[in-house]
Amino acid sequence: MNMLPAHFLRIKPFPRVVLHARSSDIAWLICFTILLLSVLLWGATTGSYQISLFKSWHIIFTPESEPDKLVRVIWEFRLPRLFAAALCGAALAIAGVILQSITRNALASPGLIGVEAGASATMLIFMVIIPEVIPALWLPVCAMLGGFFVAVCIWALSSRAGYSPIRLVLIGVGITSMLSAFSEMLITYGDIELVESALMWLGGSLHQVSWLQVEAMMIWFVVSGTLAWLCFRQLNLLVLGDKVAFSRGVDNRKVIPFLLLLSVVLTSSSVATAGTLTFVGLIAPHIARRFCSDRHGALIPLSALIGACLVVLGDTLGRTVFSPLQLPAGLVLVLVGAPYFIILMSRLRKT
Amino acid sequence: MLLNKAKHHTKKGFPTAKLSGVVLLLLAVIIASFWHLSLGAKNIDWLTIWQALTAYNPLDSDQAIIRESRQARLLVALVVGAALALAGVIMQAISSNPLADPGLLGINSGAAFFVVASVLFLPMFGPHYLPVFAFLGAAVATFIVMLLAGWEQNSERLVLAGVAVTAIFSAMTAILLLIDQQGLDKLRHWLTGAIGASDLVKLNLVYPYLIVAMICCFALVRSLNAFHLGARVAEGLGVNVLFLKISGLGLVVVLSGSVVAVAGPIGFVGLVIPHMARLLVRNNYIWLFLYSLLLGALLLIVSDIAARVIFSPYEINTGIITAFVGAPVFIALVLRKMK
Repeated sequence: MNMLPAHFLRIKPFPRVVLHARSSDIAWLICFTILLLSVLLWGATTGSYQISLFKSWHIIFTPESEPDKLVRVIWEFRLPRLFAAALCGAALAIAGVILQSITRNALASPGLIGVEAGASATMLIFMVIIPEVIPALWLPVCAMLGGFFVAVCIWALSSRAGYSPIRLVLIGVGITSMLSAFSEMLITYGDIELVESALMWLGGSLHQVSWLQVEAMMIWFVVSGTLAWLCFRQLNLLVLGDKVAFSRGVDNRKVIPFLLLLSVVLTSSSVATAGTLTFVGLIAPHIARRFCSDRHGALIPLSALIGACLVVLGDTLGRTVFSPLQLPAGLVLVLVGAPYFIILMSRLRKT
Repeated sequence: MLLNKAKHHTKKGFPTAKLSGVVLLLLAVIIASFWHLSLGAKNIDWLTIWQALTAYNPLDSDQAIIRESRQARLLVALVVGAALALAGVIMQAISSNPLADPGLLGINSGAAFFVVASVLFLPMFGPHYLPVFAFLGAAVATFIVMLLAGWEQNSERLVLAGVAVTAIFSAMTAILLLIDQQGLDKLRHWLTGAIGASDLVKLNLVYPYLIVAMICCFALVRSLNAFHLGARVAEGLGVNVLFLKISGLGLVVVLSGSVVAVAGPIGFVGLVIPHMARLLVRNNYIWLFLYSLLLGALLLIVSDIAARVIFSPYEINTGIITAFVGAPVFIALVLRKMK
């Protein structure tokens, strides 16, 4: 790592606030923003009804002048889905960065804090055991509450004898496997029709997303994502070890629960929107780290962009490749991401 | 010298206490088996069971129930429990890791994925190849976990690698089942570890592998005892550590692959049993193996009874019961060991 000052840019977003940023980081951020935009545009054009790139551009920016049918296809079906995909991916990626940095473990992922398992178990209860008790619109909220509840349980259990990141993660594994046994029980004995729709959701599927959900997700994401980014200095120090961070003025006992809360919010809002997208939170931070290593000021936005790209790509591929059949985005991502992840991790070990 | 000392120690007196423990456990297994055989849609008294097992009279309908349907399930439970427990002992021994378990490390789900894929896409291979596919899957999963976790003795990293591998394989299984929806209906019982859905035919397919693997386990006892003192000490005592680890992993692959082929992925038995056995005997692997074998069989029979009794007309899959028993034990272990 060369630390030559020539590579730094001084940015003054507000008077009296000076940010030092590496020009390479900024360049990568711009690159991935462009990539995300183009992936989004590609997602808008492809589908069972192909629309040309030029045409969809027109439909998106001047919907008045285009035929109603096409405007509906893009604005009602594809755009909310794309936005939801991008937001979920970004949220999970940020949650992943936070968890990997807090636990200082490259294999940690948002699924480990129990939110996904809690949310899926709750969702399955309301979809399979007592269907139609709760209107479909409120299901995500219930999932979110379930996820929160489980995350709180894991936190309480693991901090009973003093907090340690390793214990948190391992207890998360234990609770998650218990909850997934419960979910499996419901999957095995539930009505097969209900189970299939539940499985679709569990696999991380975005096919029923509405603008309302996108707006809700947007609010959660913007608030907690910004808060997470503002903690980048603390995260930078936490990576070096709890003691180092403490000596540099980071109060672990306050900062870590706060960061965990942020990652729970991010994860559960995306689980509520799109079901479980297990792999994004694990892999997006790793890809981002290849471009900007552990500088969280750049790492957080960059992995958010990469996570968004990944989910949009996964969702678009999932609905086009096996065309009449829609594969959930989460599963496509695992198929594509798993080999990459394994290669990445084995390479990391050698250095 | 250490080995000599250990030998001396074991030869010093006849191990009455340990042997009587084995006998007691054996008795417990037998009682549990009788209980297992007697429970069901129709309760059958123990005398009839005894007659069915010793002097079988096919005309008696009760005896026929025992011999024709319930006996198979009991045998599967016994074998599966014993095999998983042995796999757990070996896994924990060679990775020097108290949290290792073929289910938790994704080995079971790897085997399950390969079995599902072979059932759905390669139906031309008959059921005889099912165990082979399971071994293949287990081996691939083991390889990936080891690649991710490395040989270093880091529990947390190994468990996390296992979680990642489990996520990968279960997602791929889910994709297969989404593509082939009839397959979902056919396989969803098996996928959560169903002893009830299994039968003697499947057991017949795997028992040659299982017997060989179990005997090989006992052949590794001396090296494992030495390895328990640390890799360096073991090397000093003339143990080929690399060979030990590879053969141990091979045994784990065969044991848990066979279990998956017979009864689907059943988790946590391999995690819980070695710890229970270690409460009873210290780390002499020959006794640890014996105790784990019996305890594993016992645990699986009892969970299978629970699976049939709790929601009485329905039955839960045994794998789900073992997860509910095993996960709290795992959490307790984490809380106690990770100080």
